[in-house]
Amino acid sequence: MKTLADLKKIREKAQEEMKLRGGNTRIKVVVGMGTSGIAMGAREVMKTFLEEIANRNLTDVLVTQTGEKGLSSLEPVVDVIEEGKPKVTYGNMTPEKVKKVVIEHIVNGRIVSDYVVATGN
Amino acid sequence: MQDISLHLLDIIENSVRAKAKNIKIRIIRNMQENILRLIVEDDGTGMDAQTLEKAQDPFYTSKVEREKKVGLGIPLVKQNAEATNGSFKMTSEPGFGTVLTVDFQLNHIDRMPLGNLKDTLLGAIIGHPEVDFTIKLISNEGGVEKSFFFETTAIKEELGDIPLTYPDVIEFINQTILEGIQNTNMEDV
Repeated sequence: MKTLADLKKIREKAQEEMKLRGGNTRIKVVVGMGTSGIAMGAREVMKTFLEEIANRNLTDVLVTQTGEKGLSSLEPVVDVIEEGKPKVTYGNMTPEKVKKVVIEHIVNGRIVSDYVVATGN
Repeated sequence: MQDISLHLLDIIENSVRAKAKNIKIRIIRNMQENILRLIVEDDGTGMDAQTLEKAQDPFYTSKVEREKKVGLGIPLVKQNAEATNGSFKMTSEPGFGTVLTVDFQLNHIDRMPLGNLKDTLLGAIIGHPEVDFTIKLISNEGGVEKSFFFETTAIKEELGDIPLTYPDVIEFINQTILEGIQNTNMEDV
């Protein structure tokens, strides 16, 4: 059974880490969660991002959900936003593709051009 | 949508789009009454009577013109509930919020499974750190009631400025919800 005491420990650990590396979010991931995205598997895409972050212990990545992005035929759609760089939008995402984007783009800094459907703002 | 928890996710996203700050979700499984009930209550912008009626119409959407591809979320869940002899009720008040109550007949052959409730809740909670979620699961089987209560405000207070996407926090929320689902026998509903 998880308790709030566990959270206290997590907070202390996280605060130590943040002190060491400055505490900024390096990359933001936004998963499109409109009706068509959900119907096309956006929940599994979101879940895979969360799993990968937890498994690889990526402490500087933020993942959020947003509504319809007007790209219904390309759903599930994911934006990867890195400070100072143009936004990269990936389309037709699957859990397998998410794993590749995490390791290639988020960890190693190489955009997975095969899955890109748009760049810039 | 293949399962009820995907409908739930779609309903949650509607609430977020309506600028809700608090979303309360209750899922009740009652064997005696043969009912699976989903209640979602938000404090978003709400709708007037005319918009409320339109929201249940398959050809309407509140999304702006450019994004006007799908407005089927609400009509679909209504249809799926009614197909099981269930019911669908949505009440709303501009400036106060919206309450949605969906009943499915538990043992009806056409009732979709509840599906992956854990991933729906985990994604929604972490994906919307600006929203406070209150979740209650209640299972009533042979007069014995089991329930699970979860609210994100306590967690956020404890975490302070640590984001919900911090790896150990994801694990914490994931594990807590999983236990709650298992303890209320909601896994294979």
